[in-house]
Amino acid sequence: MKDSGLIVDGKIRRFSNLRIIEHQLNMTAFAILIITGLSQKFYAYTFSQWVIINLGGIDSVRLIHRYTGLIFSFLTIAHIIVGSVGVIFRRWPASMVINKKDFTDAIENIRYYFGITDRPARCDRYDYKQKFEYWGVVVGGLLMMTTGLVLWFPTRVVTYLPGELIPAAKAAHSNEALLAFLVIVVWHLYNSIFSPEVFPLDTAIFTGKISVSRMKHEHPLEYERITGQSLEDAHAMETEAGKQGTG
Amino acid sequence: MRTRFCFTLTVALFLLCLPIAVTAAPPSVSENVQNCLGCHGNKDFSVELQNKEKLPLFIDKDALAGSAHASLDCSACHAGFSAEKHPARVLKNRREYTVSGSSHCKNCHTKFKSAMHIKMSEMAAKGGKVCVDCHGSHAIQHVQKGIAKDSAYCLACHSNQLAMSFKDGEKQSLKVDTEALTMSVHDKLYCSDCHFGFSVEGHPERVFKSRRDFVIAASESCRRCHFDKYTKTLESIHYAMLSQGNLNAPVCVDCHGGHSIAPIGKGRAASAKRCEKCHAEIYKIYAASVHGSALFNENNQDVPVCVDCHRAHNIVDPRTFDYREKVPQMCGNCHANKTLMDKYGLSTAVLNSYLQDFHGVTLKLYRKQKESGDTSTMRPIAVCIDCHGVHDITVTTGPQSSIVKANLIRRCQKCHPNATENFPDSWISHYEPSMKKAPLVFVINMIYKVFIPFMMVGLILQILLHIWRYTVNR
Repeated sequence: MKDSGLIVDGKIRRFSNLRIIEHQLNMTAFAILIITGLSQKFYAYTFSQWVIINLGGIDSVRLIHRYTGLIFSFLTIAHIIVGSVGVIFRRWPASMVINKKDFTDAIENIRYYFGITDRPARCDRYDYKQKFEYWGVVVGGLLMMTTGLVLWFPTRVVTYLPGELIPAAKAAHSNEALLAFLVIVVWHLYNSIFSPEVFPLDTAIFTGKISVSRMKHEHPLEYERITGQSLEDAHAMETEAGKQGTG
Repeated sequence: MRTRFCFTLTVALFLLCLPIAVTAAPPSVSENVQNCLGCHGNKDFSVELQNKEKLPLFIDKDALAGSAHASLDCSACHAGFSAEKHPARVLKNRREYTVSGSSHCKNCHTKFKSAMHIKMSEMAAKGGKVCVDCHGSHAIQHVQKGIAKDSAYCLACHSNQLAMSFKDGEKQSLKVDTEALTMSVHDKLYCSDCHFGFSVEGHPERVFKSRRDFVIAASESCRRCHFDKYTKTLESIHYAMLSQGNLNAPVCVDCHGGHSIAPIGKGRAASAKRCEKCHAEIYKIYAASVHGSALFNENNQDVPVCVDCHRAHNIVDPRTFDYREKVPQMCGNCHANKTLMDKYGLSTAVLNSYLQDFHGVTLKLYRKQKESGDTSTMRPIAVCIDCHGVHDITVTTGPQSSIVKANLIRRCQKCHPNATENFPDSWISHYEPSMKKAPLVFVINMIYKVFIPFMMVGLILQILLHIWRYTVNR
């Protein structure tokens, strides 16, 4: 994150290469897990059966799912460890921590959508929508990892724990998967692809850079902190900076 | 005018009487025969043989005139006898007379229809049959008119204690149980319908190595009518065993019987007993099971018998994947039938709860893979019988149920060798999760049932609001 905040050609460096790789790995693992997992959940559909047969049968689908699950678990755990160590010992800004402002921001934004206020909430590095997704992936990921392990090694687990845990883990794993899938498809894909503000694609996580104009619009507090200038002061200045950003 | 009318009337009456006169005329025989009948037309005419047996010598003129030999003179058969000559004969008994009488038939009927007839007449002294035994003597009829297709023709010999022997020395009775035959479903058939090649026209002599060879060959004739069943048997394990040289594998008559073949569907217990002949061990186990005991002790006709699961003709090897894969559906035929299960207070949810669980899903997907041409070996997947038993299925409620549960862990361990005491609980026994059964599963499902729609509606509303605000601002 050394070059974080660097402004070049109207674009601000937002994500380090490590984060870019992390997202891409996560995205791939998630896609594989969804394909191999939901086709098992919705086994009765012809499409699911087509997927399963073309991946080499249910046994190989389960194998792919489990080992991809291992990779996904490794990514999640590594992220948690790196993040915790960074925040605690390296004095990284705890920008993902949920605070009171996120709730007031959400309310303010909805008021703005309804036209009660005339401007959206002013957010910092991560707005409440992004935090919601982030924690969704982390907490959901931990849930999927534990229940997934229970389903992978049912006999070991029930050596010490009651047998009912197996169907319970299955219920949680499969329901949580559906929830995660729906949130990603509806919410994440909307915000990063279909939203008119980013369409056709929010490239920030792929290039690591975000335009100054979007930065000012979506993360004004962070922008002010990086540049040291207040966007509140002069409306004229904001317009000028906007021109600069798009130009 | 009057004379002419009388003439016409007379002619008309004469013409009307003419056919009556023709039919009413006594059957005519030749003059030579008339001569013989001078004595032999006497009803009491008889002679005593050496063994004091009485041989009637009366000849029914009408029967003779209506016979196939009506145009013959007596001497045509009774050679040496004529109006001039009537040699005296010494006969031991009636049988000797009949046999010697039959020898004259060969004078005209030089060609025997079948070798069997020759063989039979050669064996005359040892209880064989001669011509007149079957064809009669003076009242002899054209075969086509009389006994041609009649089973009685065959039974003339085959109702007696006949026997044939095989190359290996074993003997086979050729006596047909006439009573069983008339009680059988085939009572309207002619012998030759099954015993093709055998008829009034022919009776080939067949040689078999053993009694078993004979039975197998006899079963071949069933397919002439029951071709659909025959083609099914071609897929069966019994046929496969037979074609591999195991002659003990059952053929049609082993299960259905021969002449005593009974109508099917009469009594399911009888059906199960047919299998017992070879599968006695399994039969015993089945008889003690919940299904078997209901059948034999309560005469319950709802319970499955062997053929309900194994099929009757296309019996396949039950140890194959294909068979195992069909088990849930087999059990489901009854156990998912609401009307049937309500009679016994059993749940019909058992089939679907299995099919929707891990094992059921895997089985279904394995089947799909097979259908798509996947030939890799697939692991055996637990089906109904793996927990409930195969032939030894017991009730799952009441005092017996604990035994089922105690046995369950051992059944799990067949595939899950590390399974411990708690493991069977991971299968919630066909129950729908509820607060009573598997509350944890029930609660988790409930939470998501509420949470997923709540979340999605919330997110979609936000998206719609966002789009709306964006459009308004532009």
